[in-house]
Amino acid sequence: MKSLDPRVERLPDIGESGVIKPKAALDQFGTYEVFVRPVEGKPFQHEGIVHAPNLELAFILAKEAFTRRFTCVSLYVTDTRNVYVSPLTEGKNNAYDLIPHVEESKKEKEKFEIYHLTKRGKQHIHVNTVEAGSPQEAMSVAKQSLNLGKSVFNVWAIRKSDIRFTASEENDLWITLPDKKFRDAAEYKGGDKLKYFLEARVK
Amino acid sequence: MYGGGNTFEGVKTESVALEDPIKLAEFEARIERGEKIEPSDWMPQLYRKQLIRMIEQHAHSEIIGALPEGTWITRAPGFKRKMALMAKVQDEVGHAQLLYSAAETLGKPREKMIDDLITGKSKYSNIFNYPTFTWADCCFISWLVDAGAIVNQLANAKGSYGPYCRALDRICAEESFHLKYGHHCVIYLATGTAKQRQMFQEALNRWWPPMMHFFGPSDKISMHTEVLMKWKVKMGTNDDMRNQFLDMYVPKIWELGFTIPDPLLKKNTQTGKWEYTEPDWEEFKRVINGGGPCNKERLEVRRIAEERGKWVRDAMKSSKAAYVTPLA
Repeated sequence: MKSLDPRVERLPDIGESGVIKPKAALDQFGTYEVFVRPVEGKPFQHEGIVHAPNLELAFILAKEAFTRRFTCVSLYVTDTRNVYVSPLTEGKNNAYDLIPHVEESKKEKEKFEIYHLTKRGKQHIHVNTVEAGSPQEAMSVAKQSLNLGKSVFNVWAIRKSDIRFTASEENDLWITLPDKKFRDAAEYKGGDKLKYFLEARVK
Repeated sequence: MYGGGNTFEGVKTESVALEDPIKLAEFEARIERGEKIEPSDWMPQLYRKQLIRMIEQHAHSEIIGALPEGTWITRAPGFKRKMALMAKVQDEVGHAQLLYSAAETLGKPREKMIDDLITGKSKYSNIFNYPTFTWADCCFISWLVDAGAIVNQLANAKGSYGPYCRALDRICAEESFHLKYGHHCVIYLATGTAKQRQMFQEALNRWWPPMMHFFGPSDKISMHTEVLMKWKVKMGTNDDMRNQFLDMYVPKIWELGFTIPDPLLKKNTQTGKWEYTEPDWEEFKRVINGGGPCNKERLEVRRIAEERGKWVRDAMKSSKAAYVTPLA
């Protein structure tokens, strides 16, 4: 291929120009939901998704996509399919009112992370951890213990064992963030150069 | 950040009449109140379709836009410029991922979006179909194309679709250094040797016409987009965006002693609007439809990258995976 870029010219000749076989389903893998704790003392919040072949790679890709530039002290990911979701409401309608009561099951209890959406248009924020035998029961437990009368528009429950957390030895993943000054707007001070240039032009 | 003007050509609004009138009224009232629409909310088909199209085009523009700048990483003048340019290009590709995800919440899988980019079915910002001959061309993109995109994206961040606005907020925050970096590069050329000044002036001459095209066709010839403005899909007319860009950046370009290659360019003090030579919209159409100097190369680079990565993706596929639409 003729190009100004020698690397483009060196690209191998594969397939036919402009023709691509339609991608098979899941060519880009499934999706994983990403949650970030931006600073110590703040709750985890939902940030978005990454496509990944497995949970471990989802964690690494999430670190690149969501914490490359923003402050982060901890990150976790889970398969989108593992997030149990309540109906979405608006106005004065509380999502908890639409969550049915579930009797306490005799199954062994597991921990579930509960997320609330309290402002439409914003992110889901972690509120607490509850113990229950199923995600439906976790929602019901949350309804009793975390429904404080304030409007909640959406509730998520995620089984703790389905989450890939940041291990304590991985906490140093983010320590180099502040060293990369070349990504700071404040590092680009052209002001003096510009000032002398403009003064010289006036003369 | 590279999202350019959207042309919205061929918007057919007939389908709106077929929507459930009560749901439509509730939907419009929610937007009117300034609330965001979330993926599981009811929305008219036209809203979904046009948003997918717009967000997808924006995502493609980030990916393709990384190519003309990325080509200068190996030749950037000095270690600091290389580090900064690498970080910037990495940011842009990251932005594409955020935007593809936002489009995906509306129901179009990423596989289909990549296919549509490569076959030319969906478009990207026209300006990236031009080559970067010198370092100064790369500086023009970093400063002024980014600046133009920021004008558009700050407006779009106030739009009505929650996932797109959240992605744009994150993108705008990450962008803060790009614009300063681009301006810094241009100040260095402007205050450098006569040769450096000449290099930037030549780049400016080359890039000015595509820069004027960047915001999309003039409102005089553009299709009616009232319904998209009402639904806060489109946040300003193409001419408004162009005018805002000229207002902010023409004085900065003149300040550096460069000339803009348009003898008619001036601000009308009475209307407060800029007057300029009407951009060549035939050229714009020709390039958007594949006739630009780099269209073929840009898409080939993407196609070959997809082909070369396929065996890796196949090797990593898991039989347990199943697709679900992402949540928010």
